[in-house]
Amino acid sequence: MASAKGVLVDITRCIDCESCVVACRLYNGLDADTKGGAKPRQTGKNELAPNRWTVVRDNHVQKDGKTVRRFVKQQCFHCVEPACASACFARAIQKTPEGPVVYNEKLCVGCRYCMIACPFGILRFEWDKPFPRVLKCQMCLSRVADNQMPACASVCPTRAIVFGEREQIVQEANKRIAAKPGLYINQVYGAKEAGGTSWLYISDVPFEQLGFKTNVPEKPIPEYTWQVLKWTPGIFIGWGALLTGMYWYNKRRATVHNEEELYAPVDKK
Amino acid sequence: MKDSLCGTDKKEMTRRTFLKMAAGSGLLVGLAGALSGCAGQGGEHAGGEGWLPYQYNVAGNLPAQVRGRIPIDADNPSIVRDDQKCILCGQCLETCQNIQSVHGYYDLPVIDETICVHCGQCSMACPSGAISERDDTQKVFDALADKSKYVLVQTAPATRVALGEEFGLPPGTWVEGRQVAALKKLGFDAVLDTNFTADLTIMEEGTELIKRIKGEVKKPLPQFTSCSPGWIKFCEYFYPELLPNMSSCKSPQQMFGALAKTYYAKVKGIDPASIVSVSVMPCTAKKFEAQRPEMNDSAEYWKREGLRDVDVVLTTRELARMIKQKKIDFAALPEEKYDSLMGEETGAAIIFGATGGVMEAAARSAYFLITGNQPPPLFLNLTPVRGLTGVKEAAAEIPGVGTLRVAVCHGLANGRKVLDIVRAGNAPWHFIEFMACPGGCIAGGGQPRTAVPPTDAVREQRIAAIYKADASRPKRMSHDNAEVAALYKDFLQHPMSELSEELLHTEYHSRAEKLKRLFALVG
Repeated sequence: MASAKGVLVDITRCIDCESCVVACRLYNGLDADTKGGAKPRQTGKNELAPNRWTVVRDNHVQKDGKTVRRFVKQQCFHCVEPACASACFARAIQKTPEGPVVYNEKLCVGCRYCMIACPFGILRFEWDKPFPRVLKCQMCLSRVADNQMPACASVCPTRAIVFGEREQIVQEANKRIAAKPGLYINQVYGAKEAGGTSWLYISDVPFEQLGFKTNVPEKPIPEYTWQVLKWTPGIFIGWGALLTGMYWYNKRRATVHNEEELYAPVDKK
Repeated sequence: MKDSLCGTDKKEMTRRTFLKMAAGSGLLVGLAGALSGCAGQGGEHAGGEGWLPYQYNVAGNLPAQVRGRIPIDADNPSIVRDDQKCILCGQCLETCQNIQSVHGYYDLPVIDETICVHCGQCSMACPSGAISERDDTQKVFDALADKSKYVLVQTAPATRVALGEEFGLPPGTWVEGRQVAALKKLGFDAVLDTNFTADLTIMEEGTELIKRIKGEVKKPLPQFTSCSPGWIKFCEYFYPELLPNMSSCKSPQQMFGALAKTYYAKVKGIDPASIVSVSVMPCTAKKFEAQRPEMNDSAEYWKREGLRDVDVVLTTRELARMIKQKKIDFAALPEEKYDSLMGEETGAAIIFGATGGVMEAAARSAYFLITGNQPPPLFLNLTPVRGLTGVKEAAAEIPGVGTLRVAVCHGLANGRKVLDIVRAGNAPWHFIEFMACPGGCIAGGGQPRTAVPPTDAVREQRIAAIYKADASRPKRMSHDNAEVAALYKDFLQHPMSELSEELLHTEYHSRAEKLKRLFALVG
């Protein structure tokens, strides 16, 4: 059993070179949609898309009274207990033991439940295709399974993206925060969010200013399913018992009524 | 109801009861399975073993050797990158870090801008052509098509030894005359020479140096040359405490721009607002320099808003593209001469294009400015400052002053070595020449990509052409330039006059707040 892998993104080390974005496109054979050198950001489309599984978003944020730029690499978080996989009745999205949450288009029926389930709003649907797929980062599963970095992490020139065992990665994040407490804010995003994710972030500005969702519950989303579903057997059996009882009661009443009619004394009049 | 009419109590299996029974038992099994958590939880994935699509098990188009790349901001005025061509080979990183010592020499996190000195050396090293100059040719075509505009162009010393390479001529082919002919064919109203202001730069910068040495200007020694905008931005980023050492002279391009819309406009009687000032440079950083907010001294001079000293900067590659677009047979063009008033050149101006050239030109004229005599032959062949050695030193005796000690460096990593010595207070020199690009302007970031990555062989051929032209010129000293003398007589009066200070000199601004510098490479 392979142990689950994780990736740490150190936002303070990102210089916005977008090597990761290009590596993702090359490795996964995605169509490029930037023509003539225009970056997606210039055309106002720096968003995740079916053919852009990762993007680097430019944020202008206030820090110590000054405007600074911070760049956030965005892709699937690969939750430890993914809501998308639990919502998928076709099992087209599954959590692999190595960590990646992987989508298989051959099993997908296109219902888009996963998109509603995802607490981070990561999945993208091919609205313009006759047989659309739901696409997202696959965390380079075949590389990760061989204990290689995902393509994006392998090209990061500043080592802002660090790959390893998830447990080690959480430790590394805490170590970095402890080493420079004046720099980082004391939070590892993804350590607890949605029950923990395989991609973790540390930053020197609060995450909500960088467009991160900070209202994500710390409990794994699939657990909410059981809060409701655990009542199913009780309701099923109880409702059945109730209806059966009513059936027998009605049947008995009809029998008694019929018998009373059959054997009632003849009217003496 | 009692089934007594048939005369038997035994229940008969009808089709209806059978179906009801089968459905009921199926439901029970399913329910039991679901409740006990057995069904659907088997070891196998849905879709069976190997359920992963093939797509996720191959490496796609990612090359085996990848190293990432440098950041290039979307609004970088000098260089752009086509993401579709990038193969993440890391050549740009290599150049930026090891040759120019920019990437890796500032601490992270970044503050609010992408650190770039605009030298364009990354574009020279990019094997897939993903990084290139920002294309401004359309602006020039538009200006040329506008009959109400007077479009004048200046050409840098180094483009005339490299432009031919874009048209199949060997490196170092001297194409000065053909370049002028091509520009006239493209429709420029006046084709003038940056060499004119290179000579002017020597007069101003040489005078400034002498005043520093004599103590007439209260500024520290050694004096740094200020012709290379990549170098200037580098100094503003990484060594702001040494900015007082920087000569206050503008680069020849900006001197030319300021004079084009003042002196030239006055003498020719042209409305400065109708002038479009174009320059052809071997350099991508010149595009940035022309956009510096303070480079609008012609607007100050005329008290008119909106005038820029230089409107459009083209690199050598862009000029070649324009010539090709207009289907001009460049190699077969006749030789033509520059227009007058700001078109005369001396040998001293030509060698500005090579590393050590500014220093040699300055030495020739400094000798004259100090002693009033023409310099001895040594100054016309100052070999210690020539060639491709990273850091070069020379000393020359000048009567009345003593020994003038100079240093020359090219490539910003070499510049860093010299700057560290100056910062430590151990510099024995009076004057230091810095050029951002290895080899000087002849191998600038806007030159033809004749060899990728750039090689010393090509650099040497271009440098040889430059010195050959210098040696063949009747006038080889900046102070002999008759048009420069006329400019001083008719307009500026004398070097470092009040008007000179206004039009030809500038100030530098520390960019220390844009980065946290590191003096050694971070791993």
